[in-house]
Amino acid sequence: MNGPPLDHVFAALADPTRRAILARLAEGEATVSELARPFGLAQPTISKHLRVLEQAGFIEQGRDAQRRPRRLVVGGPLRDVDVWLQPFRAQWERRFDALDALLQRKQQKAKRTRGLKGTPR
Amino acid sequence: MITKTKTHIDRGTFTITFQRTFAAPREDVFDAWTDPEQIKHWWDPTGAPLAGCEVDLRPGGAFRFTMASDHAPPFTGVYRVVERPAQLVFDAMGGVGTVRLEADAGTTRMVVTIRCTSAEHLDQFVQRGVDAGTDQTLDNLGAHIARSRKAR
Repeated sequence: MNGPPLDHVFAALADPTRRAILARLAEGEATVSELARPFGLAQPTISKHLRVLEQAGFIEQGRDAQRRPRRLVVGGPLRDVDVWLQPFRAQWERRFDALDALLQRKQQKAKRTRGLKGTPR
Repeated sequence: MITKTKTHIDRGTFTITFQRTFAAPREDVFDAWTDPEQIKHWWDPTGAPLAGCEVDLRPGGAFRFTMASDHAPPFTGVYRVVERPAQLVFDAMGGVGTVRLEADAGTTRMVVTIRCTSAEHLDQFVQRGVDAGTDQTLDNLGAHIARSRKAR
């Protein structure tokens, strides 16, 4: 993988405020004060979170030099969040695979029983 | 990884949705969700049969799935809606789980929704799954290493 190591990506995502900031920026760019408002946090606190997200490669500064909005990096590590969710998805996938196998065994058993009775198809 | 399960996580409504189709009638899928003898054989993602499975299948009735491994606490809850073969709704782990079964040309489309109470709750839920999954991955890795050592 190119870009920041996955450890930084995970660490950046480990905080609920930072995840909420990413969710907000997914809707479009926002300035520090715009980001600070809904969270009821002081601007320096938000700035600190933004720095972590920036270093992890999630966000960058927009073009407007005056407002200095932040925005999501296109094709940034957010793609790898899916990697982070992989164990969760895999857990349910395995569970439903087992359910599928159970249902298939049941279908085959029913078919065999019908066969033994000599019921025509 | 080839996934047959469609997973969608919606942070806006704190909802996780799984969708999957089975080549079996709805009744069979419903029974697999509600008959302890059947639940035992598929609930634990490690593939091990459950150590315990208690089901009181009626609205207000409780259930408790205990895994043989100690990776996860027992999965406990209370049934809210029991409508064979279309729907099963239960309260569990502080959220609401819904299993909807739709017949589709001889197969069954299953939609499982887990609605959490907040974004934080959703995160906790996913994190628990991630942790359990990670533990398991590490276990598998350990087993794999042990095997390849023996082979050498």
